[in-house]
Amino acid sequence: MSGVNLQSLVKAYGPLQVVHGIDLDVQEKEFVVLVGPSGCGKSTTLRMIAGLEEITDGELTIDGRIVNRVAPKDRDVAMVFQNYALYPHLNVADNIAFGLKIRKESKEVIASSVQEVGEILGLTPYLERRPADLSGGQRQRVAMGRAIVRRPKVFLFDEPLSNLDAKLRTQMRAEIKRLHKRLGVTSIYVTHDQVEAMTLADRIVVMNDGRIEQMGTPMELFLNPVNTFVAGFLGSPPMNMVSAHVETGANGPIAKFGENQLQLAQIPSLQSAVGTEVTLGIRPEFVTVSRAADEGAIPVDVDLIETLGSEALIHGHLQAEPFVIRTETLGQMDILDGISGFKIAPDLIRVFDAKTGLALPGQVTKQ
Amino acid sequence: MSADPNTRRPKPSRMVRIADHMKREWQLYAMLLPTIIWLLVFLYKPMYGLQIAFKDYSVFRGVAGSPWVGFEHFDTLFNNDQFLRALKNTIIMSLYGLLFGFPVPIFLALMFNEVLNQTFKKSAQTIVYLPHFISSVIIAGIVITSFSPSAGIVNTILGWFGVDSIYFLTKPEWFRPIFIGTGIWQEAGFQSIVYLAAIAGVSPTLYESAVVDGASRWQMMWKITIPSIMATIIIMLIIRIGNILEISFEMIILLYQPATYETADVVNTFIYRQGLQGGQYDFAAAAGLFNAIVAFVLVMTANTISKRYSRTSLW
Repeated sequence: MSGVNLQSLVKAYGPLQVVHGIDLDVQEKEFVVLVGPSGCGKSTTLRMIAGLEEITDGELTIDGRIVNRVAPKDRDVAMVFQNYALYPHLNVADNIAFGLKIRKESKEVIASSVQEVGEILGLTPYLERRPADLSGGQRQRVAMGRAIVRRPKVFLFDEPLSNLDAKLRTQMRAEIKRLHKRLGVTSIYVTHDQVEAMTLADRIVVMNDGRIEQMGTPMELFLNPVNTFVAGFLGSPPMNMVSAHVETGANGPIAKFGENQLQLAQIPSLQSAVGTEVTLGIRPEFVTVSRAADEGAIPVDVDLIETLGSEALIHGHLQAEPFVIRTETLGQMDILDGISGFKIAPDLIRVFDAKTGLALPGQVTKQ
Repeated sequence: MSADPNTRRPKPSRMVRIADHMKREWQLYAMLLPTIIWLLVFLYKPMYGLQIAFKDYSVFRGVAGSPWVGFEHFDTLFNNDQFLRALKNTIIMSLYGLLFGFPVPIFLALMFNEVLNQTFKKSAQTIVYLPHFISSVIIAGIVITSFSPSAGIVNTILGWFGVDSIYFLTKPEWFRPIFIGTGIWQEAGFQSIVYLAAIAGVSPTLYESAVVDGASRWQMMWKITIPSIMATIIIMLIIRIGNILEISFEMIILLYQPATYETADVVNTFIYRQGLQGGQYDFAAAAGLFNAIVAFVLVMTANTISKRYSRTSLW
């Protein structure tokens, strides 16, 4: 089984510990994305898996074999780097063949492998070109070609799309996903872009400050973030955060903030939170826009509307904090006239403890 | 009255654009000025004096007043055995220098790049850079002392193995190896800085990628480092070829003696003896001009070949 298992993996540079005992089990053929802000330890973790960083403590297993002390070349992994790491003096074919030549494969094997990879990645017309003569997207494909030509057990991607423009990034994202489906190789992908994480991953691992904050499927993390960090990190625009006080209402717990109140779900943890300060997490997509006359709507001081074609982002303030609403327009811009607030169903509000930032237990938002 | 919007303004002439650029970026041109003045005073103005290579020059009549003699000095030059010997020695020593001296700084830089212990690396670098900063006179003194037949370290060591003392610096067959070896010892370390800088510019991810692919350090050196610094190597080679006749004149003057003229006398020492010591300025100017033309042809040829085959060139 070509899975990857990290047990209490630690990385320290002298007294400075940057990865604090990570536990992660990547299943065979799974596509796992490590996501988090800069400096959270995701690239360091990936480099430990690749063997480019020494493991300070813990145990790393690849394909059932402990590889802490195994040289990178013997781990049977291939890595795609952020800046492509293409050899400028070699043409595309030689770049792709580099790993095979180093391993002294026969000329026939090398030629057929390069040809096959060239066809898979649409690089056949460019095999004789040097990296300097290629576009960013083509270079990225060559970098991937160099990784897949060796048919490794595990692919490691270190922010491979960061150097591409937005359009190309979207295109290459889809290509990576297709390639993974086609090859079925266990993949670990590092990015700070939550859109990449959401679209590519079978499972996302959100990291912060050298620790795993949460892991799960993209929708699990999107709908049920365990803390305010994950809630704020995933989603674009991110989840709105509103400070509130929990009180008892006529139909169970309510969240009061200023003159406003929102009905909360009737679950034990929220009922027992009465009298405490909480942070309400409200996804911009989960609210229904309302106009001045709507009863029970929460007013928002709208100051900007961004139209994105089929939808719009309505920016405003709630309790002096920024608040964003995402709404479908389907091109009918008159829908946006007169919007002054929103409504939301109780089970779509995520409630976090104001002190710890942790989600109150028992809340489950379903798809 | 407003201008017709359909009428295009004529494109300013090249001179006007240059003048505009100079006005706009005057600070850059001001910084360039000292170098231009230096070039004009020390490299271009002396070219006026080159004409004495074609004149029967007399210090009393001056450059302009001396009569023209055409290629007479060049005829004399190519019929002068001493010049032909000096030319042959120059070419041989330059080729030896190129063959043995050119790869050493590259080799040193590659070795320094492989040293992991930073303290050792810095100490070793300082030791090999040091001779460059020592005056040629002192270097010559060290060489003369080292090869002295009575107390020199070389003869002392040879004595341990029962070899009789050799007066190396009076033997024509030893002059070239000593001269080439001294040059390498003095300059290789300092010249390696250029290659070290080129190596520092190689992206570390190329090595990381190669490590994951399974390359050894030796393979990385051959397949990544050397090809990555090849452009620098070629540029340095072109410059070196251009200077092939510009052999280290001071060191030869300091080390050679009539007994070793046979292998030690080079074009520059010949010019020095004829021109400054013998007062034959016109004849020496002809030799110098010949030297410069050969260097120019060599640089042009090397640059053209390099441009054609490696896509790297000085211009």
